[in-house]
Amino acid sequence: MSEPKILIVDDEKAFANNIVKLLTKRGYEATAVYDGASAVCIVDEKVFDVIILDIKMPGMDGIATLKEIKKKGIKSEIVILTGHGSIETGTEGIRLGAFDFVMKPITIDDLLDKIYQAYRRRIIEQGRTGYIPPQKKRTCT
Amino acid sequence: MKIKQIIISGITKISRGKEKEGHYSRLYWKFVLITLACSIIPLFLVGWGIYNYYSGFSRIRMENYFKDQVGHHRKIIDMFLKERTYDLKLILFTNSCEYLQQQENIEKIFNTLNIEGSFFTDLGLIYGDGRHLAYAGPYDLIKKNYSNAVWFKEVMKKGVYISDMFTGFRNVPHFIIAVRRSDNNGNYILRATIDTEYFRSLVENVKMGKTGEVYLSNKEGILQTTPRYSGKIMDKAVLPAEFFHEESGIGILESGGKYPGSDFPRQLVAYTWLENPRWKLVIKQNYSEAFKDVDHANRAALIFLHLSLIAITVISLISARYMINAIKKWDEKADRLNRQLIEASKLASLGELSAGVAHEINNPLAIILTENQIIKDSLDELSNLDEKVKTELSDSLSAIQSQILRCTNITKNLLKFSRHINSSMEQVNLNTFLEEIIQLMEGRSKVINIKFDKNLERNIPFIVSDPSKLQQVFLNMINNAVDAHEGKPHGKITISTSFDSISKGVEISINDTGSGIAPENLGKIFEPFFTTKSVGKGTGLGLSISYSIIKSLGGDISVQSELGKGTEFKIILPYKQPEGHKDNLNSTKESRE
Repeated sequence: MSEPKILIVDDEKAFANNIVKLLTKRGYEATAVYDGASAVCIVDEKVFDVIILDIKMPGMDGIATLKEIKKKGIKSEIVILTGHGSIETGTEGIRLGAFDFVMKPITIDDLLDKIYQAYRRRIIEQGRTGYIPPQKKRTCT
Repeated sequence: MKIKQIIISGITKISRGKEKEGHYSRLYWKFVLITLACSIIPLFLVGWGIYNYYSGFSRIRMENYFKDQVGHHRKIIDMFLKERTYDLKLILFTNSCEYLQQQENIEKIFNTLNIEGSFFTDLGLIYGDGRHLAYAGPYDLIKKNYSNAVWFKEVMKKGVYISDMFTGFRNVPHFIIAVRRSDNNGNYILRATIDTEYFRSLVENVKMGKTGEVYLSNKEGILQTTPRYSGKIMDKAVLPAEFFHEESGIGILESGGKYPGSDFPRQLVAYTWLENPRWKLVIKQNYSEAFKDVDHANRAALIFLHLSLIAITVISLISARYMINAIKKWDEKADRLNRQLIEASKLASLGELSAGVAHEINNPLAIILTENQIIKDSLDELSNLDEKVKTELSDSLSAIQSQILRCTNITKNLLKFSRHINSSMEQVNLNTFLEEIIQLMEGRSKVINIKFDKNLERNIPFIVSDPSKLQQVFLNMINNAVDAHEGKPHGKITISTSFDSISKGVEISINDTGSGIAPENLGKIFEPFFTTKSVGKGTGLGLSISYSIIKSLGGDISVQSELGKGTEFKIILPYKQPEGHKDNLNSTKESRE
């Protein structure tokens, strides 16, 4: 089994970069983008097992990004990251096809738990459907 | 910004308190003045109208009465004089002069004339040359010759003559009636003196109160009878002759002005002329007496007016006081509502503020947490570090992490306080709902010797509310009740429900035997961040969250507490949440998210 590929989408660059660092150290292949549009673009370029998606972002927000990704037929598991205590945006995300949601701030252990759960489902789903991800080559700005 | 407004409005409110009393007192006097004006002006108008109409009416009636009196009296006097003239004519023309010349005959006739009343003083027959032919009466006039007397000349000229009052030979005021007959033997005149006393009593026999008087005067203004007060017979009348310039009439006579130098009270005067002789009959009475009844009525009206004024003033004072009190009550009610509204908006703005702060802090906290983790990871990788130092650093990093998580907890609670969750309204049976919660809490409370006592009203109606919010509130309240027993060996928490069909709500009371709340803290317990628990144990948000939830569900929450004895929270929940209530309360929060 190759190392799980994780995409972090968060406008808080410091946070996203730190998560990448921590995940990389723990054997994941982690990438960070800082807005919704880049996320929508990069999923065409690269296959991710789990996408960690912040809800509150300037421009295209988390929910819109989620919708766009799902529209493309991308089967990556998506974990919603909510910055505010309300659960309804999280549940809204689940309704739109996200795996689950976690609340900021979160310890790396809790986040890893959630990623692991999502990754496991991803493996199961992949095995069941025999999904082959698209391999279009494109450059994202 | 909102908080600033609230503070400013609070300060202005205090200074308004003093103004308020002045405002009420001004309002009170305004009410009094308006009611007085509204009652007194119409009262005066009506009073003035009635007074004018009634006075005019009474004056006309009195004047008509005077006119009637004077007319009626004139007829009586005229009739009397005519009758006496006819008497004389009858005697003179039905008897021969020879017969009348006999002394006994004229005396017989004289006596016969006076049978019905002593009309005549004497009776005499006079020949055409002025000689007395026969005489019956008390005076010795038989030898008198009247050829030069005024009356004699007049009767010779006119045939019938009634004289003015004169003294004549007898030196006593009297007047005569003389009739003349002419035949072959010459002129004969029958002359009779009218009894002055009888005539006077006839003329003056009009009852006109205390000041009323009746008299006759001739064309020159000489009195022909004696008035009750003003003058004597044969004197000049008090009223100057020129006053009688009209045939008949009525008027008001006043001293001064037209009659300078004279001094008499204001009088009502009616007058008319007799047919023959041309004497003027005058009836007069003091104005004040004539209009005594009118004056009396006016005085009564004036007293009534004053009494009405006093009554109106008293009533308007009382009614104004009553109205001001009612207004005060309403104002107080409005003030109370206002204060509650301010309280609610204060909490709402605090909620907004805390949500903003929490949200802004969450992101840096998340970064700090990851940074902390990176340092931890790096520390683990360092192999050349002293084990002791490594442990120390690791402990510090863990401490940092736990403090970050503590902050996280606070921000999460802050957000809970103000967050808006889409309500799912459903029918809730409070009794079973509360029993479930009690069951949940019993495990924890048994360990510290706290018993639960349920006093739940059976047949309690279902309410329509949000069970997840209610659960949050009741868990928080019961948790607080359990915490209140800290340091006590045992305790009891009583949870009771009741309902009241009038107030249209269900009441839930949570009563504990805990440490109670100090009176000075009682007003602050619903404010965010207020807590008496030790640092790190409570965020001070539980009750303020509960408060905002209960308010958003259209209910109310109140507290009673006695220090050392326990606390009772009472929650009233409506059977049904009022329309639009929730939307109003949450609209501001929604826009923020």
